[in-house]
Amino acid sequence: MNLRSLYNFFLICLIFSVTSCSQKPVFKEYKTLFQIGDQQEWATKNWNDKNWKERIKLVPDGQIFWSRTKVDILKTPDPLKLYGLRLEVYGEYEVYWDGVLIGKNGNPGQEAMLPPEGKLWATFSIPTHLTEEGEHLLAIRSSLYYFPDHTGIWSLDVDYYDDLLTDRLIETSYMHIFAGAFLIISFYFLFLFLNNKNEYPTLIFSVCCFLVFALVLTVFSKDYLPIHYSLHVIRLQIISSLLLGISFLIPFYFSMQFPYSRRGLLLILYAGVLIFIFLVKHHAFDFKAVSMVLSMWCFSFGVVSYGAYKNVRGARLVLVTLLLSMVIFLASGFVISLYTGLGLILLGMLYLLSLNIKAQRLAYENSLVQSTRLRLELLKKNIQPHFLMNTLTSLIDWIEETPKKGVLFIEALAREFDLFNQIENKTLIPIAQEIALCRTHLEIMEYRKEINYSWQEEGIDIEQKIPPGILHTLLENGITHSLPLEDNSIKFKLIFESNSNYKCYTFLTFATRGRQATTNREDGTGLKYVKARLTESYHEQWDFTSEPVNHGWKNTIKIYS
Amino acid sequence: MNILIVEDESRIAKRIERMTRDIFGDSLQSLKYANTFHEALRFIENNSLDLVLLDLNLNGDSGFDLLTTAVSKSFHTIIISAYKDQAITAFEYGVLDFVPKPFNRDRLEQALHRAITKEKIETNTVKILAVKKRHKVQLIPIEDLLYIKGAGAYTELFLSNGKKELHDKSLEKLEQLLSFSFERIHKSYLVKVSEIKEIIVESGSKYIAELKNGERIPIGRTKYKDIKAKWF
Repeated sequence: MNLRSLYNFFLICLIFSVTSCSQKPVFKEYKTLFQIGDQQEWATKNWNDKNWKERIKLVPDGQIFWSRTKVDILKTPDPLKLYGLRLEVYGEYEVYWDGVLIGKNGNPGQEAMLPPEGKLWATFSIPTHLTEEGEHLLAIRSSLYYFPDHTGIWSLDVDYYDDLLTDRLIETSYMHIFAGAFLIISFYFLFLFLNNKNEYPTLIFSVCCFLVFALVLTVFSKDYLPIHYSLHVIRLQIISSLLLGISFLIPFYFSMQFPYSRRGLLLILYAGVLIFIFLVKHHAFDFKAVSMVLSMWCFSFGVVSYGAYKNVRGARLVLVTLLLSMVIFLASGFVISLYTGLGLILLGMLYLLSLNIKAQRLAYENSLVQSTRLRLELLKKNIQPHFLMNTLTSLIDWIEETPKKGVLFIEALAREFDLFNQIENKTLIPIAQEIALCRTHLEIMEYRKEINYSWQEEGIDIEQKIPPGILHTLLENGITHSLPLEDNSIKFKLIFESNSNYKCYTFLTFATRGRQATTNREDGTGLKYVKARLTESYHEQWDFTSEPVNHGWKNTIKIYS
Repeated sequence: MNILIVEDESRIAKRIERMTRDIFGDSLQSLKYANTFHEALRFIENNSLDLVLLDLNLNGDSGFDLLTTAVSKSFHTIIISAYKDQAITAFEYGVLDFVPKPFNRDRLEQALHRAITKEKIETNTVKILAVKKRHKVQLIPIEDLLYIKGAGAYTELFLSNGKKELHDKSLEKLEQLLSFSFERIHKSYLVKVSEIKEIIVESGSKYIAELKNGERIPIGRTKYKDIKAKWF
């Protein structure tokens, strides 16, 4: 099994393990009825509540009101075990079970006078003798000073008391491990970004991971960080904001990895949609969460599908993770799919980053190879047979015919070799050194060709640096492809100009052009060398032209600042 | 001897010229020096030559175009080049010698000696004969060649596909280049030895070589002894 199918296998296992963890409940809950007012009898099991309302819209001024809920216990608890009751109810309240007060959460009716007390999620134990199989009654005496329109029991759970406490802690601890993993990934990629500030995808990924960490922490801290119901909206606002950030950044990240046209415009539109969802329906937090996450999924799906269509590396696998998260959403609902889906999508993003890092490593290795190749090419200039063997042949002739001149020739040759030795392992050298190299080369060529070569300079700034051997290469081309003028001379001229935008070297050859020079020079290896050297030192910030002109040949090298 | 030197390095051209004059002495009729391919081609087309001394890399251009033209001509070609790795190809095209740079007088003399004495090339293998057509040079693989018939200053190449081509080189010059697999069995015939099926002796001491494709080529009376001594 290859790595990719193994990865998919684990994903599928994860989904099954997540979806198969539900147990049969031990109770059945009936409709809750409400009544404003305060009578202790309302706690009793057999009170006639026929006239009570199914819903009260508003209980103003922190008045006391009661709610009565019929609950069937389907199974008597095992011996020595205790049932408990877990409630999510807004307000401060007292809890009665079959008429017996089993717990208190705050001070109903005295909220305006006393500071906020009690928590939004509370667990109460129910005395064993009141949990026989059969019908029971839960009555709550409460007041709602801060959110008078939030009457009702938002969630109710009856189970073994110990399990009610521990199950949630276990779930919370698992989710915290999940969150911790994202925190570590977030820091890791933040450090990667700090070390290479051009890599924005790593930063976005880091922020995404951190937001998921914060989201999970905010959602699952409720079991050990009690909050008063008056603060619950703040918690929901924090969660919504985190979701807003995640919902924008994930498609943004995919947009960077799988580029498409009009990216900026579409992203602004998308951000507009998200902000609209975020601001509309002020208190419908569930609606907001689902809408934002679905928008995120749809936009990401579009971007990644386009990437897959364009055959961008990694797009197919990310598409699979997106589809998988949608399958989980359809199979298991929003909450489970949110975290598994986010996990999957972030895994997909991580995979893309690893592809990027691999591509960067290859590019770096390639650049090393390229540098070595250029260095070898520079070294080869002096030992390639055309130069070396012709020089040696001429040299033999000079020594045989006029030994004194032969010695001068050898000295010039020694100077050129010496200069090559000095620049051989550099990527930039002072322009003066390059000019010295050119002059020595001309000296050698004069002995070989018996043509009068002359060298002129204009406006040279000796502080400037230049990649080694590029003028030398242009000079070699000029010598090789040109025929001397009437007076048996060839003149070379180097002109330097600079302004705030660029530096420009113009290298001119004054000669009679060789017959085939125009056709063969376009992509000669010499020019390839020049271009490769310029790219090595200036990336894309250069221009190079080489063209015939009336007086011979003209090369220009522009280096942009 | 009429000789052309094709070389773009003035100092080296002068060296070749000096040595050539020295080696040939009075037998040298004319010596010309060209430093571009263009000039060399023009000179080759318009003048009658006996020998061309050719550098393959002039002004950054590869000289193989000039080489194919040169080897299709009646004269012999000697390459003087810095690129030893081109030697094999040059020999395949049918040059008389390849003198690597840097060279001394002895090495040049050895090469020129081949031209003077008509020394046969035994060790090297010519793979291609270049035949001049109206506007181009056609390359004929040696393996397609059955035998060659002398026709005055020219030669006729008889190919395995039944076709006949004209070559500018004399039978003597081709014999010099092809002696590794061809045998001069007659004053006018040079035959590939591997193509000979049998030798028939006819009445009146007439000797005939029958080729594998059934063609019959006469064997010279004087040559028969040599062939017999060499092959049987």
